[in-house]
Amino acid sequence: MNKEIINENKNNDSRADKLKKYSLASVVLLAAIVILGNFLLDKVFGKALTFDFSYSSQNSISQPSIDYLDGLSPDTHIRIVGLFNRPNNVDGTVYQYIIPLLDDYVKKGDGKVSVEYVNPNERPSIITELDPDNSFDLASRTDSFVVSCNGRIRVISPIDCYYYDENYYSTYGTYVITGNNTEFTFTNTMYALTQGISKKAYIVSGLKDDGNDNLTKILESMLMEVVMLPDSDSFEIPDDCSLLILNGPNSDISEKMYVEISEYMKNGGKLFVAVDYNTNNVTEKYDRLNQLLNQMNINIDPLLVYENDAGHQLSGSAVNSVVTVSDEFSSYVSISYLTNSYARNVRTSDIPNPDFVTKPVLATSSNSQTLMLDSTGNVVANGVEDIGQHYVAMYAVKDGVVPSEVFVFGTMAFSSDDYISQHSLNDINVDFFRACIRELTDTSVDSQINILSKNIDSYNIDATKATTSTSTMMLVIFMLIIPIALIALAVIVYFKRKNL
Amino acid sequence: MYAIFKREFLSYFRSPVGYVALSIFSFLSGYIFYTQFAYGSVSISTEVISLRSFFVIIVPIITMGLFAEDKKRGTDILYYTTPTSLFSVVLGKALAAFALYAVMFINVIIHIIVTVSCGGVFNVGDFGAIIVFFFMAFMFIAIGLFASAITDSQIVSAIVAFVFILVSQIISVISGYVGTAAGSMASTLGLSNSKASSIGTAVTNTITWFDPFVKTQDFSLGIFSVSALFFLLSVGILFIYLTYRLLDKKRWSQA
Repeated sequence: MNKEIINENKNNDSRADKLKKYSLASVVLLAAIVILGNFLLDKVFGKALTFDFSYSSQNSISQPSIDYLDGLSPDTHIRIVGLFNRPNNVDGTVYQYIIPLLDDYVKKGDGKVSVEYVNPNERPSIITELDPDNSFDLASRTDSFVVSCNGRIRVISPIDCYYYDENYYSTYGTYVITGNNTEFTFTNTMYALTQGISKKAYIVSGLKDDGNDNLTKILESMLMEVVMLPDSDSFEIPDDCSLLILNGPNSDISEKMYVEISEYMKNGGKLFVAVDYNTNNVTEKYDRLNQLLNQMNINIDPLLVYENDAGHQLSGSAVNSVVTVSDEFSSYVSISYLTNSYARNVRTSDIPNPDFVTKPVLATSSNSQTLMLDSTGNVVANGVEDIGQHYVAMYAVKDGVVPSEVFVFGTMAFSSDDYISQHSLNDINVDFFRACIRELTDTSVDSQINILSKNIDSYNIDATKATTSTSTMMLVIFMLIIPIALIALAVIVYFKRKNL
Repeated sequence: MYAIFKREFLSYFRSPVGYVALSIFSFLSGYIFYTQFAYGSVSISTEVISLRSFFVIIVPIITMGLFAEDKKRGTDILYYTTPTSLFSVVLGKALAAFALYAVMFINVIIHIIVTVSCGGVFNVGDFGAIIVFFFMAFMFIAIGLFASAITDSQIVSAIVAFVFILVSQIISVISGYVGTAAGSMASTLGLSNSKASSIGTAVTNTITWFDPFVKTQDFSLGIFSVSALFFLLSVGILFIYLTYRLLDKKRWSQA
């Protein structure tokens, strides 16, 4: 009897032991399958099984980028390196619209694009690996991306990928993002690196001018290398200059600059000049600049263009108005009306130079006039000129083996950082500006990939409905009435059932 | 299984537990919604993704009694003696807790209605965030269920579930410390600084890979990742199976 019980216990122990081993083995096996399965799915199909359902496809590259990537030869390798550790949470950071989009480049790049994140503090060799000559000072740009291809690199700062309100930034020092330009920036950077850069644009700086960041972005996206040329006693225009830009100087050019630019223009130079009539330059007559431009039959008057035609005024403003594109330049944009703001009058010079042919580019209505203002912004005595049509932009060309060309704009509503930041690269004025640059540099529209900026997703609710009283009502209903009612129910249930 | 599900689901409303959980969820979701509404900009996906942070409070409340209470009363013997399979019992209880989560989610549906009626946006990206919310709820409920099966004390069960969920919530923080420690250790062992930091980064990345919050973070941006959902689902199934094996082992040890 005892033997039987002992045998039975032994059998039970053996069965329990087997069951324990089976349980352990099955759990370990399942855990291994779960980890391995997830790892494989993540690494092999992770990107293919990721979809962008965002409101305006912020995280997906558009067809022009896909077409560009498809058109690259299979052995192309574009390496994008973020000089920081990849953040776990990009929501609400400056990388919110960048990192997911870069993932999409990898997904749709068919092996031609790779993205990695390397923190130089953890791997200092990455700096010399990417930039052996230290031309870009990568050690100080540890929030940026480096795009590398064919031994050349470009550095993209996160803020290069956005439009922001420049006025707000200059006042408060913080960025208010108005548009997402990430895809445009990265695709055109890749394009520039894979196609090669053929033109070099020099922007004259130091004439109390405003920043040229957005102008630089536009030129770089047109495959130009952009270099600043500061005003100095040793001012000299390099031989490789394909385009010289004077963008919004608030003071006149120096004598040295006048001599250099004159010489440059005699030898087939290309010049773009833009000035306007603002509080910083209201008394500036640009005598030397005019002396220079007069050689090309153009003169900028110290007069404000005042539009009297209500049909041409913008929001009833006589200084912010619509201007007509001359027939000669109508092919530059799809519409013939552009906007201008606080423009100076641009006209042909009093003493013509027969070598140059001058053409009007942008004209006001025939009911506009010009005003001369004093430093306080008031019209000076006898400062009102006759009513008629005025020009706010002109073009001059001198034929030759290498023709000299110049565009002169009396308004900054085409090329200023402030304007571009507010209106984005898709703006029709900016498009017109691009066409002017293409004319000057003799490049075709194919020299960049045209990608529309994306508007930042807006989750705003109707301001008339989201009033303070409605908000208070939400607070009371969702944070007080409903939770308290549920707690009251809990108390009732507790007392009703506590004795059951 | 349906009978188990029905009994467990209704039991939430026969005791204060269901109402308290509902009340906490209503308050927290109401707070997130109100702060967005008062700002004049409501993103439902942001609200839903933010609500994941409160699993650590709500899941232990709704799962602590699922098995622990039966074990304390001794009624767990019924699982082993009735003709219902043990797996159905585990699944029925998990589904009951999941259904309670669905009831809680009515709050968010009300918020969606208010948002849309006030001219706000509810799009497919928000829908993706809602899907991931439920997948995550399933995973954490499975973890809570397991915690409830290992003890006969509801308090201990709640604490265990709380710790499990809390750890999963701060994995990325922990991984940073562990990675730094691994890097320092490698450096002490004589490896070059760059190699040591590479090891540290690799350790950090490996641990972070297990972080369900990092995997699902981008849903708030409208990015829908199937592999993230698969991760949540498979880990949930793993814990359901663990719970089943635990009870099955007890059945035979009791026998």
